[in-house]
Amino acid sequence: MQTVLKADRIKVQFGGLIAVNDVSVSLKQGEVLGLIGPNGAGKSTLFNAITGFAPVTSGQVHFFDQNVTALPAYVRTRLGMGRTFQTERPYEDLTVLENVLVAAFLKNPKRKEAEEVAMSALQKVGLADRAHQLSSDLNLARLRRLELAKALALEPKVLFLDEIMAGLNPPALKQMIEFVRELTASGISVVMVEHIMQAIIELSDHVVVLASGNKIAEGTAHDVINNEQVIEAYLGTD
Amino acid sequence: MNRNYTILLGLVILAALFPVVSSSYITVGLTVLMFTGWASSWNILGGWAGQLSLGHATFVGLGAYFVAIGASQFELAPWWSILIGMAVAGIMALLWGKLTFGLHGPYFTLSTIAIAEMVRLVAINEGWLTGGATGVFIDYLPEPFGIDLFDKTVQYYLMLAYAAITLLITIFISTRKFGYQLKAVRDNEEAAMAAGINPTAIKLKAFVLSAMLTALGGGIYGIFLSFIEPHIIFNLLLSVQIALTVIIGGRGTIWGPAVGAAVLIISGEVFRTVFEQANMLVYGILILVVILAMPKGIVGEYAHRLIRRKYANRA
Amino acid sequence: MLELISFFQNLSNGILIGAVYALIGVGLTLVFGVMRTINFAHGDFVVLGMYFAVLLNSLLGWDPYLTLILAVPLGFIVGAGIQKYLLSRVIDEKHESMLLATLGISLVIANLLLLTFGGEPQSVHVSYSTSTLQVSDVRISVVLLLAGLATVVVITLLYLLLNKTEIGRAIRATAENRLGAELVGVNTKRIQAIVFGLGMCLAVTAGVSLIPLLFASPVTTGALFTLKAFVVTVLGGLGNIGAAIMGGLVLGVVEVLGASYLDSAYRDAYGLLVFLLVLLLKPEGLFGKTVKRV
Repeated sequence: MQTVLKADRIKVQFGGLIAVNDVSVSLKQGEVLGLIGPNGAGKSTLFNAITGFAPVTSGQVHFFDQNVTALPAYVRTRLGMGRTFQTERPYEDLTVLENVLVAAFLKNPKRKEAEEVAMSALQKVGLADRAHQLSSDLNLARLRRLELAKALALEPKVLFLDEIMAGLNPPALKQMIEFVRELTASGISVVMVEHIMQAIIELSDHVVVLASGNKIAEGTAHDVINNEQVIEAYLGTD
Repeated sequence: MNRNYTILLGLVILAALFPVVSSSYITVGLTVLMFTGWASSWNILGGWAGQLSLGHATFVGLGAYFVAIGASQFELAPWWSILIGMAVAGIMALLWGKLTFGLHGPYFTLSTIAIAEMVRLVAINEGWLTGGATGVFIDYLPEPFGIDLFDKTVQYYLMLAYAAITLLITIFISTRKFGYQLKAVRDNEEAAMAAGINPTAIKLKAFVLSAMLTALGGGIYGIFLSFIEPHIIFNLLLSVQIALTVIIGGRGTIWGPAVGAAVLIISGEVFRTVFEQANMLVYGILILVVILAMPKGIVGEYAHRLIRRKYANRA
Repeated sequence: MLELISFFQNLSNGILIGAVYALIGVGLTLVFGVMRTINFAHGDFVVLGMYFAVLLNSLLGWDPYLTLILAVPLGFIVGAGIQKYLLSRVIDEKHESMLLATLGISLVIANLLLLTFGGEPQSVHVSYSTSTLQVSDVRISVVLLLAGLATVVVITLLYLLLNKTEIGRAIRATAENRLGAELVGVNTKRIQAIVFGLGMCLAVTAGVSLIPLLFASPVTTGALFTLKAFVVTVLGGLGNIGAAIMGGLVLGVVEVLGASYLDSAYRDAYGLLVFLLVLLLKPEGLFGKTVKRV
């Protein structure tokens, strides 16, 4: 199976603070990679470094065998990286449909086709009936789904989900996990940063655990949860 | 969106009939159309790309000066001069934008004021280029098809054409990729990047288009004035007027600039007949009203409520 | 030898003018520090001071510096009032909203002045308008000197206020961290009104000092001073008072020297050029720390 993403010895340093220290991860076609770790572990920073939203101090990122380390975020998007944001970033003055339209235009410059792609993405996340509502009027759970729809409309090769499960109540969580499961079933590769273990267990093929900027474990979800070092990292030593 | 084209057609027809109906207010009508055009042009950068420029008078001046100098020194017909002026405006915007788009919000605005001021000083002092502080006088213009370009009614129709063109372009862009890219960059630059959009490239395109269209209006303005002076043309107050027209009317909307122009110019005229001067007072008061009570501007607020209500009825 | 004298002449003029610019800039930067807003009306506040002096001079024959007795408290009340009733409503919105609100205030003030006083430029003529003081071979205009002195006095008072009083401490706390200040019990809304009032006082004082030297024109002078104030504060670094003082002096000197040794017609442009360069190359200002780049 092809390796679609390879992050080699990534180090991200801000001034004196080393947020990510010599971490390598890789993703194969169709796989779901989970990135977990306690708060401040550096998973979001690593995520941002891979997608182009944080600068890499040293190390390389290869996407489909192309070295993208020096490329700006919007170029990486054009190459096939589609990401969501942890704090939702809707285009407030635009409707739900228009929000997704912006992304759909990437691969579909003509309005009619872009609208079709956008509606299809909205349908996948169950927001099609609210297409003409102002995005600023949506509640949290729906905004999350909107984020997902925006990423989908990019027709990405790899989907990057940034804590998309956070803060959802149980029914919304179950629904979101289902949405992602359907997506992975269709063959899309996924990298997900998560705190919600349930989602990680149900969805990921492979998990990497970070703590204080370092990779402390990797394997299947089952391996990782039972790993002593991981438990210590989350709970702290007595 | 086809609806907007129909509205435009209707308005153009109405405006075309105006001089027939009321010949004494032709200049006011002309001014409304001129500001509609300038405001719509500014809107592309300031309303849709979200970059608040207070230096657009520079482009007005470029258009006017090229027409004036072209006519008086090179006997160049105004349509050629305007095209050259537009090209220069575009290039200037490109360089200007490249230089200053890295600046955050208010600092970008400050830089536009500074650059516009410097251009004004150059225009005043480099007499060999611009005729200096005494200005340039257009004494002769060609007569295409026997049309007298100095006639106010002719100028009115030129301005009408200008306003119609800018509105047409605005409507055209609003439903297409470019329009959405602009709005995305304005509303949330990071999300726009995550959607594959290069924010700087988009802003530059917006700036260049905005500058060129403003210069087009400036050229016609030059014909209207027939005497161009640096302090009238490269005036900070003019830049402010254009910007406020859009903000009061509604940034980022299609009809906001036109509504703003109509409201402000007409109330300015009414004010002037009562108070004789200080018609900018209206701008000051209205912008405060807008900021405090109607942040999206007249048309913006109206559209916002309309969408809300439409959705509520449908749900 | 003549070169040197003329250089010192220019330098002293530059420094004195720079002092007044500093006064204007300090007002703007003080407001920025506490309200994080660029006050577009600041120059018009200066012009208000100028016209106030003109008014009292023509009505009562008062010397401009005498009018300060009334101008400063009135200025404070008006400034605090504007902040309290208008600007405080906008403070938590986007930065642009504040900018536009102050722009609106600027237009209202300028045009009300235009309606009241008419468009003719006005000045105040005092008996010592043309007197000069001689220090070895260098002549210093008395009016300029007084302006410089006024600036020194006012800035010293400001320094004492900010560093030696309870209120000053509250102001500095609010400037550094509004939320933090509120958490320790500072009434930041009141502080903001006070600071805006202070900013107006500083502007009005500058206006009064300048009116014997310059002509006031209701619409154009305001914008001119606002622009100069921006240049000064950006040069020094927004929010940094000491730096604003340095920025003012730098601007004064650059203008005078530029006008004398390069082209005097472009006098205003030198400051603008330096301003642009600083904005583009070192946005924290020549001395400042806050970064403004995207």
